[in-house]
Amino acid sequence: MSYIAVEALNKAFTVRKKREKGRLLREKSTVQALKDVSFSIEQGELVGYIGPNGAGKSTTVKILSGILTPDGGSVTVGSRVPWKERKEHVRHIGVVFGQRTQLWWDVPILDSFSLLKDIYRVPREAYEKRLEALTEALQLTDLLRTPLRLLSLGQRMRAELCGSLLHGPELLFLDEPTIGLDAVSKLALREFLQKENRENGTTILLTTHDMEDIAALCPRVMVLGHGQKLYDGALTDLLARYDTDRVMTVRLGGDLPPLPPCCQVQRDGENARITYSPEQLPTADLITLLQAAGPLREMTIQGQNVDRLIAAMYREMDL
Amino acid sequence: MKAYFSAFRMRWKMELQYRGAVIGGVLCQIFFGLVLVAVYRALYLGNPQTGMRLSNITTYVWLQQAFFRMLLSSDPELMDKIRTGGIAYELCRPVQLYGFYYARITAQKLMGSLLRAAPMLLFAALLPEGWGISLPASLPALLLAACGVMLGLLCVSAMECISMGFTMRTLDFRGVYALMNLLMATFAGNILPLTLFPDSWQRAITLLPYAQMLDTSIRLYTGAYALSQAPAALLIQAVWIVLLVSLGLALWARNQKKLIVQGG
Amino acid sequence: MDTVKFYLRSMKMQLKCQLQYPASFLLQTLAQLVMEGGEMLAVILIVDRFDHLNQWTAGDLYFFFGIMSVTFYLTECFGRGVTGSFPSMVRSGQLDTLLLRPRGVLTQVICWAIDPRRIACIAVGTAALVMGSRMAAVQWTFLKALALIEAMAMGGILILGLFLIEGIFTIRSVKSVELVNALTYGGRSACEYPIDVYPRPLRVLFTVIAPFALTLQCPAAYILGKPLYGWPDWAAFVTPLSGLVSFSALYLLFQHAMRHYRSTGS
Repeated sequence: MSYIAVEALNKAFTVRKKREKGRLLREKSTVQALKDVSFSIEQGELVGYIGPNGAGKSTTVKILSGILTPDGGSVTVGSRVPWKERKEHVRHIGVVFGQRTQLWWDVPILDSFSLLKDIYRVPREAYEKRLEALTEALQLTDLLRTPLRLLSLGQRMRAELCGSLLHGPELLFLDEPTIGLDAVSKLALREFLQKENRENGTTILLTTHDMEDIAALCPRVMVLGHGQKLYDGALTDLLARYDTDRVMTVRLGGDLPPLPPCCQVQRDGENARITYSPEQLPTADLITLLQAAGPLREMTIQGQNVDRLIAAMYREMDL
Repeated sequence: MKAYFSAFRMRWKMELQYRGAVIGGVLCQIFFGLVLVAVYRALYLGNPQTGMRLSNITTYVWLQQAFFRMLLSSDPELMDKIRTGGIAYELCRPVQLYGFYYARITAQKLMGSLLRAAPMLLFAALLPEGWGISLPASLPALLLAACGVMLGLLCVSAMECISMGFTMRTLDFRGVYALMNLLMATFAGNILPLTLFPDSWQRAITLLPYAQMLDTSIRLYTGAYALSQAPAALLIQAVWIVLLVSLGLALWARNQKKLIVQGG
Repeated sequence: MDTVKFYLRSMKMQLKCQLQYPASFLLQTLAQLVMEGGEMLAVILIVDRFDHLNQWTAGDLYFFFGIMSVTFYLTECFGRGVTGSFPSMVRSGQLDTLLLRPRGVLTQVICWAIDPRRIACIAVGTAALVMGSRMAAVQWTFLKALALIEAMAMGGILILGLFLIEGIFTIRSVKSVELVNALTYGGRSACEYPIDVYPRPLRVLFTVIAPFALTLQCPAAYILGKPLYGWPDWAAFVTPLSGLVSFSALYLLFQHAMRHYRSTGS
């Protein structure tokens, strides 16, 4: 059996509407947050979980981590049912919510860590070893005596990660971990997560809107929309399905020759941007056409921006 | 003038929006009133007092409970501004801030307490004799009491503006504020009717600003102050209003000046 | 044992946080002193004017006031997390963080906050208790001391249970905080005086529904040597257990409500 097995998961929320004029009771309506979602994840996998806002990503993570009780379906994580054996379950997992802190605001982060040690009942030796390794990898050593409120966003996120990994969880949920971080911090964080996954075999489920995070970290992605699972597989396959066009930027010695109608041309001074689909017009043929018109001085070929692809995908899936 | 009127109307709408909280608050206040009346009844039946009827005490309790809201601090928005420092921007503007906030606080207190007082007084009027509120001593007494409530309202608002003024200065709002409010609960007669304080204390206590807020009006209503004493009582209220308003004005003006000097 | 250690460490951290602003802390403590002092003053002035309340003398009244005050504010001091932090944690979704840790939710909530300012109120209450015991000339015995401790422990547990109601309401997004206050704070104010001065409906409320009379007043009356309703002495040791019963019932309701917790925010 898989490490995480989710079978026909359902969860609905009742929302109370604002009372309308002339009515005594407020109307209630039900929002189906998750509709028959099933998937499985093996130990040591690094999985990206994407979807537009309100798709049900957070709800899934909250059920998997034992915060919420689902309405129907079955979930096991390492043979535990999260919401039934909450205390036992959360001992083995770590969670980082990008926008919510689990450390104490006014005290040095070292004090927070040491209290977490007591909460998770981590033996002293194991704690010290783990803390040293983590603070080094996350470059926190010099910040241990600083209160959380004085840390920058990037430093804070590193401290949060450290706090959620102190007890050596086998499964890590990350919710928007790179939100608001600068480029350097982002890269460092990604590198750290890869290392954690590789060296400790930690299973990681990453929820994010940042497609670069997914592209850099996750060989496998799941797409959720309107509470249903829409895609589950390799990111490259997903992109290939929607990634049909290429953009060729060229600088020609002579005039641009007439091109087949499937090409779109945009002029930009001496440069020309040609958007084409290699399926209809193979790249080699296009180059031949261009070379026939004059010397090809410069040429670059680009795929489309990942974010645009995802937007196109959401549009097509009608999300 | 029109601006003040619309401030009143907005407040009214806001109060109506939170009617759930208002109803809960009224029920809670009624409950506290019943508990107090029960205690005073037991005390009276065990040891009847001369010169003061039980119905006067129960009336006192109900009027205090009904207008209790008036005594509470009432402008969370302004408090927030002070705490976050946003008030500094307003203080730098060359306008009469004191007048604006004084009017606003008065409006909030008036609306808040009228909305709550009406159902509570109705409830208290329906209670049997010796439990509920009794009729005013006379029609003139009622009118004088109404005047007294209005003057009392102006007095509470002036007082609140003063504590706001101090708060702006120290920024440690909770301590100062809580102290001011707590003195208010004791010496305005909310915890124990001022008429039950030792007679020797009463002469001094009734002169304090806290007594002007509700105690004077209640005494006018029950006839504890005879009609002949009424002018003097109302005069004391008026004197305190003048004193407290001028103190508040001076304090706010100084805060404003200080900020402008620092703000360079 | 392990939980006690966790609690002590949390408290140390909480105190550290609070004492970061000493001036504010002192001022707020002073405010608490004025508040509870005012309540106490009311009782003193009542005694001054009326001398007694039914069969209860001045000393008895101070004793009743003191036992309620000490118990209530001790609970508020150490149960701050339940009454203050928990409802706002539910609304902001911060409760998620606690659910992600391998400890009981209530344990963590209690560890979450402490309100040391209440020490001022507790001091006033203790003064009233000592004064009352002196004036009523209580002959202290081992059994009476035991009754006092049991009463305060059970009373505290009862109050903690009542504080849970606000939490339950918040989880179920019922907005009736004022009505809950009528039970807890109203109960405190009402039961500062002996229960038998009240008409029947109030007596039923504070005997059956929120049994302050059973947990605090029955033992207090026994200590003062004037058993409540003429009940036998053993009642002073049995009736306080109703505090535990109420707490258990409310705790079960709390657990049930937690299953319906819907963490808000993303």
